[in-house]
This record gives sequence, structure tokens and C-alpha cells, in this order.
Amino acid sequence: MRLESVGKRYGPRQPWVVRSVSLDVLPGRLIRLEGRNGSGKSTLLRVAAGVSLPSTGRVTGRPHTGYVPERFPGGLPFSGRDYLLHLARVHGLRGPGAARAVDEWLDRLGAAGYAGQPLRALSKGMCQKVAIAQALLARPGLLVLDEAWTGLDQAARGELDAAVAERLADGGAVMFVDHEQARLAGRISERWRLDDSGQVTVADGFGDAAGGAGSGFAAETVVVIELSGLESSPAAVLGGLPGVLSLDGAVVRVSSGASDEVLRQVLGWDGVHVTGVRTEPAAQTGQTGQSERGERAAGR
Amino acid sequence: MTALLRYQAALLLRSNRWIFPLIAYGALIAVGAAGSTPLAEGLDWSAAMLVPVVAFITRSMLVVEPDASRAVVAAAAGPADGPVRAQLAALVAALAGGAVLGIIGAVFTLLTSEPAGPQPQSGVTDKITATFNHPAIFLAGLVTALVCLFVGAAAGTMCNPPLLRHPGAAALATLAVVIVALAANVSPANAALRSDIASNTGARWPSAASLIASVALLAVSWTASAMAAARRERSLS
Repeated sequence: MRLESVGKRYGPRQPWVVRSVSLDVLPGRLIRLEGRNGSGKSTLLRVAAGVSLPSTGRVTGRPHTGYVPERFPGGLPFSGRDYLLHLARVHGLRGPGAARAVDEWLDRLGAAGYAGQPLRALSKGMCQKVAIAQALLARPGLLVLDEAWTGLDQAARGELDAAVAERLADGGAVMFVDHEQARLAGRISERWRLDDSGQVTVADGFGDAAGGAGSGFAAETVVVIELSGLESSPAAVLGGLPGVLSLDGAVVRVSSGASDEVLRQVLGWDGVHVTGVRTEPAAQTGQTGQSERGERAAGR
Repeated sequence: MTALLRYQAALLLRSNRWIFPLIAYGALIAVGAAGSTPLAEGLDWSAAMLVPVVAFITRSMLVVEPDASRAVVAAAAGPADGPVRAQLAALVAALAGGAVLGIIGAVFTLLTSEPAGPQPQSGVTDKITATFNHPAIFLAGLVTALVCLFVGAAAGTMCNPPLLRHPGAAALATLAVVIVALAANVSPANAALRSDIASNTGARWPSAASLIASVALLAVSWTASAMAAARRERSLS
């Protein structure tokens, strides 16, 4: 999926919430949006999810999408299960497959016992589970989560983390916002930072997350891989792998949590040879700052 | 689109937003049917009363869903044009609800009015037989009802969210536009109701122009509403 100079404002005399965002959302990428309150994170998520058309630019190549809004006030005249059955059909599931998917997700999120109750009678957390279940029913190629963890019990939070991992493993992309800095630390591929003028800068996802992957390396460690025989096309692929911090000629710097996977990929390419692997402290790459050290600590 | 329509229809039924329109429409028709009216006039009355009723149902469908669940459905209906299709499904469901009421109204009118015929019939079977033998009056009434249905739906669409989001203004505007639609002679509904293209059968066919105009109004209002829903201006409340 590609965002092409996407801008969004809520009316012709309103300020731009998001402006000239040109970014790709590649399969298998986990993208975290960051920014202050009101910086346009939710707006950008809505545009990416196809809930809201951009005011300028366009979004192309959007896969089937599941969207979990920030708040889901279940003020609808359905039981949780009936609502999910309807949404499963809107998502394109048919017949017994729809009912199976509904039951599976209600069960996984621990909401099966409440599914027969009207949405109006459900607690905030239970409504949130219904909102999450609907987004996951059809195993979407793009999952968009706007503070989806808020209000969930611990088991359901873990289940949502697992669901995100499954989407990524299936080659789906996941975009999310969460106030918890440590959320999904170690799996994040890139971070989009929204500033107050509505512009987005992209940072790699591993600056604050190396410790989360549990690879046994110290969190501050970066793995430097030296290669030979690297053609231009694998170089582009290499740059897109999760955890790749920088690509400088034939020298790749990789977050320690992702180094095994990157090496596995590289070794699989014909004509590419690994000529050296060493580690260096992350501070040398200039990728991390003081605040992110704090986040890293929270991540463990 | 079928799944979206099913969802919106279920929403209309389960939210009980059809009960008030049904009662109101029933009362309005009953008023019109008091005394013995000729069938053609009775059908015109039941068609005219569809305008406010359909506008009201459309309004209900446009405000019944919380923003968050609209967004969820729009994403699910994607990946492209999801919000547009979700909005159209809500509008179609409202129109279909109005059509059901219109048919009920027409049948009720048929059974309670004086059919045009050589001799007065009183029994229900007589009336139905007479209609089968001379269907023109009834069919003309249905076409008039169709014009009114489209005009009412267009009025409800134009005067409510997302095109008009202020809650008080939306309710007042809906009422005002419904009155204009019935009373002003530029309105296709008014034109259809005034039509006296009486054939020798006594049928009052609306003009083709009024039917075309009502379809055009509906198309314009639906397009505008769907576009506005997709652009999704932030709500005022």
C-alpha cells in the first residue's frame, strides 16, 4: 500500500492535520505512529484504513483492512455475536466460515461468555473486544489499531499481541498507535513520527526496542554485518528488512534482536557472501537518545 | 453490498426506528381515509404522506449509528470506497423501509376507498377484483408514491448528517424541506400529486418529468451524502 502526498484537513478553513505524507506500507511491516495528543495520529490511521478519504493525494493498493477505533461505544441494537456475524459478512466471509471465525475470536479474546448480551449492556472492555474481533475476523492484509489495547484485560492484551504477530507472519501490515511506549517493542519495523505541523518523519523501529526480542544481546548492541557481492536489488530488499538500521555500501547495521533473521535472509541469496560479523554499541549509530533508553527499559 | 444492506436493514429493524414512522403513517392514512374517498384521491393522499415518513426514516438511519461503528463498517466494506458503500447501504435501507410502508399504505387505501366503477362495491373481494380488472388507477397511484418516496428520501438525505450536522438545524430543515416538497409547485412530489392527466380510466398518472426529476434529486442527494461521509468532516458534537 502506498500513501501518495496524502493530506487531510477537516474543512476548507481548518488547519491541516496531516500534510504531504508519501510513504509505503509494505507487507509484513509493523508500523507505530507516534506524536503528541492531537498531532493527527488517529486521522492518519483513519486515512490509511480507508475510513476517511484524504483531502489531497491518494492511497493506492490498500489490501483488505481491519480497523479498530479508539473508542467503540457499542450503542447498537445487536448482541455481540450478531454484530460480529454481520461484520463477518461485510468483511466478505460467507456461511459457516463466518460463524466459525466469530466463535474463534470471541473465544480467543475471552468474550465468548458475554457474546449473547446486547452490546448496550457490555462493559467498555467487552465492547473493545468486539471491536477487535471484527477487525481480525477476515485475517486482513492491513490491520489498523488505534489504542486498541486500552481497556483490555491482560489475557486479551496478550492475545491481541499474538494476533498482530500472526498478521505479520502472514505477510500482513499492521499500523498502530498506543500510549504504552513498550507496546510490541522488539517487533516494530518502523516508527512514523507526526509533528505539530502535520508532517511525518520515519524512524526505524529498533532504536528503542532491541531488548524486546530477547536475543541474548545487550539492548545497546548493534550487529554489523559486512557483505560482498551485494547487487543493487538485494540491497533494496535488505534495506527493507525489519531491524535494519543502516545500509552503507556493503556494511549493514542491524538491531541485535533481528540479526539472526537478517543473516538467514542474506545467506540465502546467491552470490552474496558474509565477510564479517561484529557488534558495536548502539550509541555509535546515533539512533537512540535519552528518552528512548527509558522506553527500552520499559520494554523489558 | 448485500452484506452491508443486510446489516443496515437489521439495524433499522432492531433499533425500532421503524415503529414511530409506521404509527405516524398509519394515523395519517387513517385521517385521509375517513369518509369514503375515491381510490385515486386516496392513493394520492397515502403517497403524499410518504414524503415526511420516508424523510424521517432516512434521518433515523443517518443518525442511528455511532461514529466509531460507522468507521468500522466503512473499513470492513473496503478496501476501496468502503465509506461510500456503507453510506449508500444505509440510505438504500431507509428507502426500502419507506417502500414497504408505501406498499402497505397503498393496499390499505385500496381496501378502504371507493373504487371507480360502474356500481359501488363494498366487499373486499369486490374491490380487489375491480382493481384487477381496472389496474390503471392503482398503478398510477403506485408511480405517484414512487415519486414521493424518492423526494422524501432526498429531503431526509440533504437535511441530515453528514450534509447537515447540527442536530437542531437538521431536524428543523428536514421538516421545512418536507413541507416545501409537498406544497411548492417546483417540487416533483407536488407536481405528481397535482397531476390530472386523467385517462378515461380515471387514473391520475404523474408526469414523466416529475418521476425523472425525483430520481435526479435522489441521485444528487445520495451522491453528496456518500461523498461527505467518505470525507468525514469531524462531527460538531
